[in-house]
Amino acid sequence: MGLRSAWKQMSWLYYQYLLITALYMLEPWERTVFNSLLISVAGMAVYTGYVFMPQHIMAILHY
Amino acid sequence: YHQKICLHCDKVNRKSSHICHNGGIYKRPFKESFEETPMLVAVLTYMGYGILTLFGYLRDFLREWKIEKCHNATEREEQKDFVPLYQDFENFYTRNLYMRIRDSWNRPICSVPGAKFDILERVSYDYNWTFKYTGRIVNDVINMGSYNYLGFAENSGVCADAAAEMTLKYGVGVCSTRREIGNLDKHEELEKLVAKFLGVEASMAFGMGFATNSMNIPALVGKGCLILSDELNHASLVLGARLSGATIRVFKHNNMQSLEKLLKDAIVHGQPRTHRPWKKILILVEGIYSMEGSIVHLPDIIALKKKYKAYLYLDEAHSIGALGPTGRGVVEYFGLDPRDVDIMMGTFTKSFGAAGGYIGGTKELVDYLRTHSHSAVYATSMSPPVVEQIITSMKCIMGEDGTTLGQERVQQLAENTRYFRRKLQEMGFIIYGNDDSPVVPMMLYMPAKIGAFGREMLKRNIGVVVVGFPATPIIESRARFCVSAAHTKEMLDTALNVINEVGDLLQLKYSRHRLVPLLDRPFDETTYEENED
Repeated sequence: MGLRSAWKQMSWLYYQYLLITALYMLEPWERTVFNSLLISVAGMAVYTGYVFMPQHIMAILHY
Repeated sequence: YHQKICLHCDKVNRKSSHICHNGGIYKRPFKESFEETPMLVAVLTYMGYGILTLFGYLRDFLREWKIEKCHNATEREEQKDFVPLYQDFENFYTRNLYMRIRDSWNRPICSVPGAKFDILERVSYDYNWTFKYTGRIVNDVINMGSYNYLGFAENSGVCADAAAEMTLKYGVGVCSTRREIGNLDKHEELEKLVAKFLGVEASMAFGMGFATNSMNIPALVGKGCLILSDELNHASLVLGARLSGATIRVFKHNNMQSLEKLLKDAIVHGQPRTHRPWKKILILVEGIYSMEGSIVHLPDIIALKKKYKAYLYLDEAHSIGALGPTGRGVVEYFGLDPRDVDIMMGTFTKSFGAAGGYIGGTKELVDYLRTHSHSAVYATSMSPPVVEQIITSMKCIMGEDGTTLGQERVQQLAENTRYFRRKLQEMGFIIYGNDDSPVVPMMLYMPAKIGAFGREMLKRNIGVVVVGFPATPIIESRARFCVSAAHTKEMLDTALNVINEVGDLLQLKYSRHRLVPLLDRPFDETTYEENED
């Protein structure tokens, strides 16, 4: 039951995301293009942060 | 914020909600509000339009390189070297943004557009480039979009019977213009009735409301005259002003200081190079502006007009029948004298359930228009059943048919308006306009929400009109509700519950004001704003 309501909540949040970014009006293949671009950019940012954050934190602490 | 007097109100950069008691020329509180766009919503709206524009360029590129099939009109191969026809922003917008949500407009209706109507269901398999009818009819959709303010759009009852009788007697076509053989005795009767209704000396009726404006303003003003027109005037007024050849100057919407400044400049400096005085100065305003729901500041305009000796042209398309204790329009709403307004124009399309327009004024004006108006000389006159519908509905509103039905309808409309507006504001939507106007624009802002709102409301059996660019500024798209006297309280309650539900689903409750109950105090210097934040 908790899973059902969590799924509903996620689905509503995804709907809000579609409305705010105007992806609601685009065709499915356009949504795929935009989502993959967004996820790749966000993924690259997270990965860079994961690789470089320890070095940056050490540099700040040792300054 | 202190409460401000009406003359200082403008909707730029302030939360301008105010109640005005202006030293006697306003006999009743004038409450208008145009809440400012929340900053986050504006940024997100621009972001949404940016994403759509990028995808629009992508699709145009694919269409150009023939990777994708092109459904819209393009130039032929031989014409590719000519000046391009479809490269401007309007066409880009139509191809890439309007087409995607096109199913919210031009919905085919298959019954009379009363309080409820039937819609033919449509489905599209190629993303709104073509539609197919499934054959199913969606019944009893509550109508929140028709300009049916007094509920005279009906196919049974006194008006419909009278119109049917008139069809049997006169037929439907008139087949001539007013000046040739198309002047029926019914037209003369209608014109006398309209003059009596408005309280003017004489009036003239035309077959089409748009043509009343665009064909008569050129007959009244010409080169060497000055037209001062409101920023948000209807296309018919703008077209008529441009066709006349007069100089046009625009003042800010409902802003009396802007108008006064223009009048002063006009009187002091005269015509542009020669500095001769203007032959005529004509102020063009509307009674109710249908995109904003605002009512014109008529007492201020009449005071200015008398001071600077200008003429006033009042277009009461939406306000006739809808405002005022007996439905006589915006002049009666403010308690003013109809003889102060030089040219009173209106249409029969909205409150009377017919088609056509009228112009009322002094007898000299109307006699002049009978000979000089383009519409009288070239356009076919009004069809007899339509004339009879107007005569019957007008007599009903005036009470001359012996019943109080008209008066009840006017009061019902006022009650419905107040109730509907109050409830929507309490729910937390941003509603523009005056508290007494039956046109209720509700702000949507984001482009995807325009399409989503139209579709979700239709799924729940409510028909609404959503408006976007180019009828409104690009980020201020809205849904426009038109309250009608034909709506019962149950229908309004159903509609309000559905709007509440859809508003929660789409997160449309942008308003940051929460209204406190209205306190009817007289104006005094230490009264603070009635809203709490």
